[in-house]
Amino acid sequence: MSNSTIQQIKNVAGREWKRMLTHPVHLLSSIGAMLFCYLFFLTLMSEGLPRQLPIGIVDNDNSSMSRTLERNINASPQVEIVGKYASFTEARKDMQRGHIYAIIDIAPGFQSDLLANRQPSISFYVNDVYLVAGSLSYKDLTYISELMTGFILQQSLEAKGVTGKETLMPILQPIAMDTHQIGNPYTNYSVYLSNVLLPGVLQMLIIMFTIYAVGVEMKQNTTHEWLLTGNNAILSALTGKVLPHTVLFTLLGLLGLFLLYGVMRFPMNGSIAWMSLAMFIFVMAHQAIGIFIIGLLQRLRDSISIGMFYSLLSVSFAGFTFPIEAMPRGVQIFSWFFPIRYYFKIYVNEALNGADIRYSLIYFAGMLIFLLLPFLVYPRLRNTILQHETGSAIKNSRCNEQLQ
Amino acid sequence: MNNSNKSNFFFRILHEIRRVIYIILDEYRIILKDSGLVVIFFGATLLYPLLYPSIYRNETIRDMPIAVIDESQSVRSRDLVRRLDATPHLSVAYRLNNLEEAKDPFYKQKIHGVVHIPKDYSQKIHRNEQATVSFYCDMSSFMYYRTMMLGANLSIVEAGKDIKIERMNAAGITGKSAEISAAPFHYDKKILFNEPMGFASFLLPVVLVVVIHQTLFFGITMLTGTLREEKLVTIDPQMRQKGKFFPTIIGKALCYFSMYIVICSYALLAVPRIFQLPHLGDPLDIIRFFTPFLLAVIFFSMLISVFIRNRETSMVVFPFFSLVLLFLSGFSWPQSNMPWLWKTFGIIFPSTFGIQGYLKLNSMGAGLSQVQFEYIALWIQAAVYFIATIIAYRLQIRITENKIKS
Repeated sequence: MSNSTIQQIKNVAGREWKRMLTHPVHLLSSIGAMLFCYLFFLTLMSEGLPRQLPIGIVDNDNSSMSRTLERNINASPQVEIVGKYASFTEARKDMQRGHIYAIIDIAPGFQSDLLANRQPSISFYVNDVYLVAGSLSYKDLTYISELMTGFILQQSLEAKGVTGKETLMPILQPIAMDTHQIGNPYTNYSVYLSNVLLPGVLQMLIIMFTIYAVGVEMKQNTTHEWLLTGNNAILSALTGKVLPHTVLFTLLGLLGLFLLYGVMRFPMNGSIAWMSLAMFIFVMAHQAIGIFIIGLLQRLRDSISIGMFYSLLSVSFAGFTFPIEAMPRGVQIFSWFFPIRYYFKIYVNEALNGADIRYSLIYFAGMLIFLLLPFLVYPRLRNTILQHETGSAIKNSRCNEQLQ
Repeated sequence: MNNSNKSNFFFRILHEIRRVIYIILDEYRIILKDSGLVVIFFGATLLYPLLYPSIYRNETIRDMPIAVIDESQSVRSRDLVRRLDATPHLSVAYRLNNLEEAKDPFYKQKIHGVVHIPKDYSQKIHRNEQATVSFYCDMSSFMYYRTMMLGANLSIVEAGKDIKIERMNAAGITGKSAEISAAPFHYDKKILFNEPMGFASFLLPVVLVVVIHQTLFFGITMLTGTLREEKLVTIDPQMRQKGKFFPTIIGKALCYFSMYIVICSYALLAVPRIFQLPHLGDPLDIIRFFTPFLLAVIFFSMLISVFIRNRETSMVVFPFFSLVLLFLSGFSWPQSNMPWLWKTFGIIFPSTFGIQGYLKLNSMGAGLSQVQFEYIALWIQAAVYFIATIIAYRLQIRITENKIKS
């Protein structure tokens, strides 16, 4: 790269900084939006795993056995009985009001049936409209019931003279499960979401601001001035234009990594250096997409609509909430076209699983390919910018004529 | 005298109504002439409700690939492997010799779980001891973890059942009473409202309401921004005629409202039926509930649009807010476990009540009386934002007039 090119880029970048500072609405709102989201998502789910989920009970047996069950449930940290109902219909209505996530229904005669060996049953009603709260409260209720079953069995075994933990446990639970949650041993729900959702917000801001920064020059007919600063070298003009944004968004991204792994202490089993590099490429890839969109569509208004559409879909196609493999085949292909998908894979390998870097190289390459996008629309963008320039030059000269 | 007063009054009312109708039609004309607005009001509202159900059509993961390391190589261990493979959740894709071998497919994300059956598995069962099986779960997605645990629990409980009975027989509990002692009571899970426990049924109703909320917001703010840019006025040209803004606010609101009653019927009533998502609610209740919702969103957006100077501003700055609104509604992280600060913050936005109300009406089959809290909250929001919009418009006009005078 020659000295003059560097100088051109410097000039354009300087002009862009000035533009950002004289109309600070966009600069401030992008920084503000990102900081707000860091604060919002990281404090919203600060509990990690929801505790004391409100549930209801319909105890028609009202026996010592049913009360023991109730006490056991309340002793568990995950759920809490907040309502006792006289009938199931009443409890169901309260569930429809959204007050409780699950109902335990104990029919009359539970204890007497139990003692008479008639195998009574208990029903758990779970509201899976709230998938997370529903799944978690069900998991806990199942666990408590297993404990109860074990407790009752233990009593009848002890009556037969079988005592001691070593002899009881193999009978109560012949096969024990030893579960390893790789990278997230406490099943922290915020780890699932925040690690990808926050880059998801960042890519929205990057795409929209890149489209705006380039598009507004065309809209306001300032391309002439813009190019002049870059000494009419379009590539330098474009580089200089996006460079201040690269710096800004990379800093915001790195701040995010610091908050996630430094402050929140989310799992980081690999190298933060690789993650930082991934973040840097992530930022540039989305800038490239922004340039591609405005270069392809030319008009600011259309580009903004498409940019928004794309960046919202990005969140779905990262595949962190609903896995890509579970989507219909024809839809799966689209996940290739979103850099956030590759970022998610790198995050899983590095932060969660602590895998060797060679497993992630392909995803780095995947993100880098997006950097080629601006070159695809380069001729088109060049023509537009030049046309705009002559257009505005003619306009200016006409204005001058009229003034004279 | 009295008579002419009365007819004067009558004519004034008539005049105002004609003005409102004129503004409604004018607003429609502006929207239909602007391709960008057509895309938001009609394109996005048509497309998004079709797009998301297509992406999440499968609802859940089936036959998730896992690896099994069977060091026991016994009848018992092979039985467990067969049970794991037979669950609808899991599918044994690799049979490996040790954990080291499992690393490669796991890091390549070809498998989302590893089951390790130790060497002494069969011996322990024969020696009447407790055997242990290790499960390694991919934690990159909540769905992987859930699927793994569902499949693992199912097979372990099934495999253990026979062993349990055998051992009880040995301990002196025999026959039917062994069976009863193994399961003194049954418990069964009954899923209410989201029968398939599916992802689409869980996410889509929420997305539909956010789409309504956000398209209205972006559309209204974009429209105002455009008028500001093109006509270089602070409010808009119709209002400058006589300085009367009340009919303008009513007219604009009625235009959006009439448009969105149709859109709501499509997105909130028709789409769940087309894609066989939960739809237990009474359509009439849903329409009645969405009346204050639409008004609240309309006046909220009109209020914000007072501060919008350019066509693109809101769409550049606010797309991320759709995600914030989604989570404020408490559909994912439960509302009962939100910090109070965010619960309070959520009160500002109509979507918070709109989503909760729609979930209860549509997905849980609640009646309007059960969503009274949300219903009243939305009417209060509508009233507050309506009054705030009037005040904001009045201030705007005064500022503009002062500018013109000076």
